[in-house]
Amino acid sequence: MLESVMNKSDPRELWEYVLTQVELSISPANFNTWFRESSIVKIEDGIVYVGVPSQFFRDWYQKKFHTLLLKIIRGVSFEYRNIEYLIVKDDRRKPKEVRRDRPNTELPLDEFYINKSDNLNPRYTFDTFVIGAFNELAHTAAQAAIKRPGITYNPLFIYGETGRGKTHLIQAIGNHFKKMYPNRKVFYLTSERFGNDYTDSIQAGTANRFKEKYRQYDLLIMDDVQFLTKREKTQEELFHLFNSLHDNNKQIIFSSDRPPQAIPDIADRLRGRFSSGMTVDIGEPDTESRIAIVRKKAAHHGIHLDDSVIEYIATSVSGSIRELEGVINSVVCHTQVKGIPPDLAEVRQSLRTFSRPTKTVSVKHVVSKVAEFYGIDEESIYEKTRRREVVRPRQVIMYLLREDFSVSYPTIGSKLGGRDHTTVIHSCEKVKREVIEDAELAKEISDIRGLLV
Amino acid sequence: MVISLEKKELGDAVSRVSRFAQRTATSLPVLGGIVILAGDDGIKLRATNLETGIDIKITGTIKDAGVVVLPAQVLKETSASFTGAGAVTIEHAGETAVISTSGAKSTLRTLPYEDFPTLPIPEGSKAKFAIAGSILKSLILSVAPCASVSTIRPELASIFIKAEGGVITSAATDSFRLIEKKVTSSGSIPPFTMLIPAKNAVELAQTIPDDEVTVLVDEHQCAVMWKDGVITSRLVTVSYPDYQQIIPKTFVSEATLLRKDFDPALRLTSVFSDSFQKVKLKFDAAGKRVVLDARNADVGTTAESIPAAINGESIELAFNYRYLQAPLSLFTTENISLSASGIGRALVMRGVGDSSLLYLVMPMNQ
Repeated sequence: MLESVMNKSDPRELWEYVLTQVELSISPANFNTWFRESSIVKIEDGIVYVGVPSQFFRDWYQKKFHTLLLKIIRGVSFEYRNIEYLIVKDDRRKPKEVRRDRPNTELPLDEFYINKSDNLNPRYTFDTFVIGAFNELAHTAAQAAIKRPGITYNPLFIYGETGRGKTHLIQAIGNHFKKMYPNRKVFYLTSERFGNDYTDSIQAGTANRFKEKYRQYDLLIMDDVQFLTKREKTQEELFHLFNSLHDNNKQIIFSSDRPPQAIPDIADRLRGRFSSGMTVDIGEPDTESRIAIVRKKAAHHGIHLDDSVIEYIATSVSGSIRELEGVINSVVCHTQVKGIPPDLAEVRQSLRTFSRPTKTVSVKHVVSKVAEFYGIDEESIYEKTRRREVVRPRQVIMYLLREDFSVSYPTIGSKLGGRDHTTVIHSCEKVKREVIEDAELAKEISDIRGLLV
Repeated sequence: MVISLEKKELGDAVSRVSRFAQRTATSLPVLGGIVILAGDDGIKLRATNLETGIDIKITGTIKDAGVVVLPAQVLKETSASFTGAGAVTIEHAGETAVISTSGAKSTLRTLPYEDFPTLPIPEGSKAKFAIAGSILKSLILSVAPCASVSTIRPELASIFIKAEGGVITSAATDSFRLIEKKVTSSGSIPPFTMLIPAKNAVELAQTIPDDEVTVLVDEHQCAVMWKDGVITSRLVTVSYPDYQQIIPKTFVSEATLLRKDFDPALRLTSVFSDSFQKVKLKFDAAGKRVVLDARNADVGTTAESIPAAINGESIELAFNYRYLQAPLSLFTTENISLSASGIGRALVMRGVGDSSLLYLVMPMNQ
């Protein structure tokens, strides 16, 4: 007999056997219409799950073919207790796409697919996440949270300034979680969407359904919770949701652009909940990390950039990773239009449009901030002293005025107590050289820049 | 089964229902048929092609209850040939049905009813709401032409409909252009998203009435019901790209021009466009005009400039003229704005003062 040699646990072989039997029992037209696109998706606990293309099929299978199919699979083995019908997603049936050369540029849609049931963007994974000193802690915390969800760090609260990769990290957690625990439910949303959903449900009179919907998740990820500021009712709803999920050991992950204590106008009890688990921040990416990010992003687009170009982009684009991405995208676009990656000169040229408008600032303001930073007397900067503790800050001031605010050398000289422009040039060059090797100096300068914003 | 009804009533109903029947002969023959049901609910016509399905009620008198399936094409042509007023009688006995008017009498072979599938009506577990049929139609028909005709990527051959915060949005894209229509709903509509195959949506939109209809949405199926009918369609369950992110936020140049200038200029230029249907669009900031030109080695060249207000720098982009022309009929305003976001980047078209419709098109490689 055929069934004696068949591997019963293999869904494909079982389905092929089922088909041969069904074909004998119904008309060819019926067979072709109803069975051509179906398959066995899985066999679990004695239940055979048959995947069908739509509800038309599911209803008709249940009505017309259920008895027949059950009889056939029972004939194979009594282990099979029942058959259930699942509507399979369309991409399962999707054939490989044939790419044709078209003269028209396509929209970059591929990058923006999000999964409807969990709202996660599959583009965000740990594979594409660049780990550096600035986000190492956050990454480790994320890994720990995935290993023992709901237990180790619950909630996990990740904060950092915009464009540092918070969303990437928390979505990567969601995507990884999905892979590790396929039967558990993940949901990602922004706090704004949560608020809108809540308001909508109140208007539609379905508040209970709203509550149920969110309580079913095993992992809830909420992005940008700082937007809950002043939305009291939404906060209250989140508070209750939090308690319910937390009591059931469901993992919760929040992100925000500032630590829980610094979010204004938020109920204290919610603030307390936010910080009751693990609170971890993502700092500013260091130069090495930025270089790694640029390299990875460019490689992701299939473009090989010269090392000097990568370094130039990484060091000259200040600000968030998102801005860095913007520059890389323009480089990618350039490559697609011209066919070759841009060289250093071209990148420099195009970066001009990206650089922020130069701020005008009074020299006095810079001097006072820097003096304050180094804890020296403001007046001593203007004096002709060569004391070590003054020389360094003065050089830093010159460097900053030149680099960040494009003040001319002679102006800097005259404003800082009538110094010759060659002295200024020397100082700027010196700091420029040292800042590359001296991590401490680099840190000082970046801190001062923070003060000047 | 014996029923009698008005010629016009039958003709109208059959032409509405027959488009939902399967048109290819390769599959189950009964799917190419229309079911006529005469029972306690009155007379109903039903058809399905396993993508969409329809069930509508018509008025007539039932002399003897029963059910019969007749081939849609034959029934459609038969009822279309009726002229004038008067009654039609359909009488079913055994393997045949007789359709008779005062003078004519046709005998049709019937199809087996037991093979005819049930129409799945969703419970509306995801969303259930009432909306004016005319609004639903405009949401679907405004965006449907931009959906992909190829079904290789099922999500792009579909229309994306989403309700959130009292606004219903529909969108479609074939990856070369994208269109989005927004309507503010008057009633309360629960938040939901669905992805309906564009072909199904168009059939639905062309059949439903303008008055209020009820929409039911489930995970895999949606239905639109009105007082004497229901249409059901399968939904696509793959994810849809988060297209909002590709709508440019900043522009290098924006041209505002009259639709009545742009339309004929495009038509002229298209005559001279090449096999790629390429036209060049130049924003001339200094000359305060937009210049369209096309070149075809076999035909010749043409150029037309139209007055426009340009805000930003001069820029030149090439497009497939069909992609520029397609949305023009959808804008209701006299002025339209064309916003360019750079070389090799998308161009956004909007009606001036009308934020309900947005059209985005990618340029051709130069």
